Amino acid sequence: MEQHGSTTAGKPKDTKFAFKHFARSIRPWRWMILLSVILAVGSAVLGLFIPKILGDMTNIAVDTYPEIDFGAIGRKVVVVVILFLASALLNYGQAFILAVVSAKYTEHLRSEIIDKISRLPISYFDKHKYGDTLSRMTNDVDVLTTTMSQEIADISLSVTTLIGVMIIMLSISVPLSLISFIAIPLSVVAVGKITKFAQKYFREQQNTLGALNSEIEEDYSGQIVIKSNSYEDTAMVHFGETNQKLAKAAERAQIFSSLSFPVTHIFTNLAYVAICILGGKFVIDGVINIGDIQAFIQYVSRFNRPITEVAATTATIQSLLAASERIFEFLTEPEEEPDAEPALKIKHIKGEVEFHNVCFSYDKKQPIIRNFSAKVKPGMKVAIVGPTGAGKTTLINLLMRFYEPDSGYITIDGVPIREMKRADVRRLFGMVLQDTWLFSGTVEENLRYGNQSASYKDIVRAAKSSNVNHVIEALPKTYKTVISEDSDNISAGEKQLVTIARAMVADPPMMILDEATSNVDTRTEQLIQDSFEKLTHGRTSFVIAHRLSTIRNSDLILVMRDGAIVEQGDHCELLEKNGFYAELYNSQFADN
Amino acid sequence: MWKLFKYLKPYWWQVIILVLATVAQVYTTLQLPALMAQIINEGIVPGDMDYIWSMGLVMLGLTALSAVAAFLSSFLSARVGAYFSRDLRADIFSKVINAGVSDLKQFSTASLITRTTNDVNQIQMVITMLLSMMVRSPLFCIIALIMALQTAPEMSWIIAVGVAAIIGTVILIMALVIPKFKIFQKIVDKVTLITRENLTGLRVIRAFNNEKLEKKKFEKTNNELTRLLIYVDRILELQNPLIGIIFNGATLLCSWVGISLLNQDFSYLGNMSAFAQYVTFVMISFLMMSMLFVMLPRANVSAERIREILNLKSKIKWQNETRGVPSNMASVEFKNVDFSYPGAAEKVLSDVSFVAEAGKTTAFIGSTGSGKSTLINLVPRFYEATKGEVLVNGVSVKNYNKKDLISRIGFVPQHGILFSGSVESNIMFGAPNATSEDVAHAAEVAQAEDFIERLPQKYDSHIAQGGTNVSGGQKQRLSIARAICKNPDIFIFDDAFSALDMKTDAKLRTALKPITKSAVVLVVAQRVSTIKDAEQIVVLDNGRVVGKGNHLELIKKCPVYQSIVRSQLSDGEYARELKLADKYMAKLAKEAR
Repeated sequence: MEQHGSTTAGKPKDTKFAFKHFARSIRPWRWMILLSVILAVGSAVLGLFIPKILGDMTNIAVDTYPEIDFGAIGRKVVVVVILFLASALLNYGQAFILAVVSAKYTEHLRSEIIDKISRLPISYFDKHKYGDTLSRMTNDVDVLTTTMSQEIADISLSVTTLIGVMIIMLSISVPLSLISFIAIPLSVVAVGKITKFAQKYFREQQNTLGALNSEIEEDYSGQIVIKSNSYEDTAMVHFGETNQKLAKAAERAQIFSSLSFPVTHIFTNLAYVAICILGGKFVIDGVINIGDIQAFIQYVSRFNRPITEVAATTATIQSLLAASERIFEFLTEPEEEPDAEPALKIKHIKGEVEFHNVCFSYDKKQPIIRNFSAKVKPGMKVAIVGPTGAGKTTLINLLMRFYEPDSGYITIDGVPIREMKRADVRRLFGMVLQDTWLFSGTVEENLRYGNQSASYKDIVRAAKSSNVNHVIEALPKTYKTVISEDSDNISAGEKQLVTIARAMVADPPMMILDEATSNVDTRTEQLIQDSFEKLTHGRTSFVIAHRLSTIRNSDLILVMRDGAIVEQGDHCELLEKNGFYAELYNSQFADN
Repeated sequence: MWKLFKYLKPYWWQVIILVLATVAQVYTTLQLPALMAQIINEGIVPGDMDYIWSMGLVMLGLTALSAVAAFLSSFLSARVGAYFSRDLRADIFSKVINAGVSDLKQFSTASLITRTTNDVNQIQMVITMLLSMMVRSPLFCIIALIMALQTAPEMSWIIAVGVAAIIGTVILIMALVIPKFKIFQKIVDKVTLITRENLTGLRVIRAFNNEKLEKKKFEKTNNELTRLLIYVDRILELQNPLIGIIFNGATLLCSWVGISLLNQDFSYLGNMSAFAQYVTFVMISFLMMSMLFVMLPRANVSAERIREILNLKSKIKWQNETRGVPSNMASVEFKNVDFSYPGAAEKVLSDVSFVAEAGKTTAFIGSTGSGKSTLINLVPRFYEATKGEVLVNGVSVKNYNKKDLISRIGFVPQHGILFSGSVESNIMFGAPNATSEDVAHAAEVAQAEDFIERLPQKYDSHIAQGGTNVSGGQKQRLSIARAICKNPDIFIFDDAFSALDMKTDAKLRTALKPITKSAVVLVVAQRVSTIKDAEQIVVLDNGRVVGKGNHLELIKKCPVYQSIVRSQLSDGEYARELKLADKYMAKLAKEAR
């Protein structure tokens, strides 16, 4: 089931951590960011002069009336045109640079994350949900980079405008300026308070929405159960309650978030009125000119937006830091131990595997494998049996070095695998698991996955001997047909055949197989069994066995129960022992 | 989209107040520049301080009025938007929950979820915006236009130029960018796909040492995305500077034209700056409206998807009261039943007939796609037979009241589905009046008692959403206990035993025997061992019944059954089964004689 990524809104837990890592990773682009800040400041400064010069035009007109000096005014017009064109150009420049930075930074973060995925130990992913990692890769990276570029532009523009406007206003008239400045602290405080409330309610809304989402998900995916138990009415009542809660929370969040605009509007409007009145008085008293008043009024209206923006910044920065924290939390997870250096190599593999007093636990508290020793001779078939959930995949995890033993060691042809490169160990095994993972690509590409240098002939040969050639030939574009994990042009059983063929193309000296084949029709089941036999022929192989024939024909059976290996031996020995295996065997296969 | 507006109906008076408040707000905001022009022309120029004061007070009054109106409209639009979407969501949910299984077959669960949540959110956002903008922007535009024309009719052409420039810019940029958005979405999907694959295929990728290959694949797409992003941004970022140029240009034009008109009429001194503000207002409202047109098509997609659900007409009609008298003896009978999915030519089931009696187990076996799961879905009327009749306790399912029929059936689906709550609430799911003894008994029969007793809070232990905190086998056992707790006439196990290991499977079947003495048991299975003891086995192949009988009979006479058994047993065992069958047949023959 698709996991919903946890919400990125909200507060970071460790602001310092979030900020430190963000600052460090953005460092390569610091000069470009600085440049765009300079351009933004320049653009804002240039824009600021426009109302002032427009006011000058009026002043010239009034002063020279009725013989208006159009020459002087014309020169001012040219200046204004140059100013706003230059301002627009700088604005575009800063926006474009930031867009490039944010795109490149996004690319960089994504590629860091994908790298990290390949370096983290498997245990990380067994403990964390895929959806969570995926949401860090998509949502969080998006939030981080878009808010970053937005905030850089907004803050530099707003702050410059605010300061510039203040300076110009002061230069026109100090008393008028002071009146309009009163609006600033009032607005900032009010908007700050409102944003804080809005945030609280937004979080509440987000949480309720999450609750509602899981309820819907649960009810929809459990439809059959609801219907077959006449639970519809009760489900409706539960849903109604959460739905009502969400409506309330959404209402509150919306009200508060839409309040900040009217509130700042009131303060600036008040200032506007005051300026009209007082300004009028000043003009009559001859303190300032009409043109100045006009310019001043334009500046006051320019005051409005940056105040709201600066006041709202704290909230966005928090969500930026929260996203940054989630990304860098992932990027700083401890990685797999590096390979031994210098690493040992096996030149000519015979395929002898030996477990020496291996102990293992997933969480240190509950030992899973205690002091397990066994010797597997070249070409032997080892069956791993036990009830569902007994931990049969644990042994495979250790063999493939997805996990490392707590103590003891495993050798192949006498070489401890810990001393080898992981890649070299894994190259020795072919793996066919119950989970038939195929990537979206053509059949041919999928078959070549374990051996990039395989020829087309090799591939067809492998497909034939794994009984899947006829299936592939029946596909619309045969070997060039695009398949994927959830594609329904081939059945689950056929997918398993493809993964068998994939292992055959790789042609490894040893095999690891999982026999479990649920949801496979009878005929395909036989084909799979047949291919398995071909695959294990002459190779040391480890099979998570479900079929009696496989188990009986094995040279060594490892019996697992509750995560531990409780018995080992061949079929006859184990039956004689009359222990857990015998019990298992009798209940499963034999007639009572 | 517009059809969803009927959900605003219960809030009509709030909508009306909202519109009025918006009108008031627009009117007052627009009055201010006019008053300012008057102050300049009739107060400042002649030096009339009293006039300035009185007009100043009027302005103050208007500001207060505008504030009240603004509060009112934000309050109301938030409220109406929130309740609008609450009602819409509730309707969708109710539709989905009450629709028949076959009606919903065309939608995936994920898509249903998106329609109930994301799509409603999209609509809510647009509705809230429409509520304030649909009235505000045109109104703003019209009033500003009128006032502009009143203050300085000679300058009205500036408005036309400004508006044309704004619309032109927006259209140009959208025309360049929107086609790229589709490609953009595709590449974003591909990045997600590769990341997903890297996570789900983790073990395979590492087993084949293909980390580098995957990385290369990812880098290619990642880079493609970056390049496209930069291209799109290069155009998109043009919008702000261009609009800035247009706004500034318009203001400049106003000043220039105003000044050149001063000689005709000195009142242009005040009027031109008022006019400049009106022009800005008009252009802003056009900008807003053009944004609306960009957003509407997207909301329309959501609206369509929602309406697909709301327009669902259930094909299955239930009776208000059960017609006829169901027998006290449990039974299920299929009479020449055909089934095909709506619109599909191929039959999933054809001419299926059998009788399942009380106290006996009837098992269905066959390869994937043979129709065995579909068959049992006809009993609780999740699907409706296209031909023939399905009888439960002697009465056709079509004559049942919904609750009456469902209460007779204990259905265990293929995958153990649990709901968040406690162990107990899950077992009591279909039997709200069950006592704690009933619950414990059901758990015991379902072989769930052992692990429940080991849980920290036993029956009160918490079950997480989707039952993720219990294992697959445990989930399945709880879901079996849920069916047992209902004490139904008919048990249906849809391949419910395959998640259990064979030992538990066997124990469970033994424990079930006494409580199913007077019940019909229908079992779909993959494993021969699960159904060997069934009194009746129905073998399905391509939707047809190709064999009916018990295990030993079928092993002798049904080739499809033979091949199934052969694939699951070793040669030696198969031979032994054959021998048993021979003995059994001989015994039958003797009895017949």
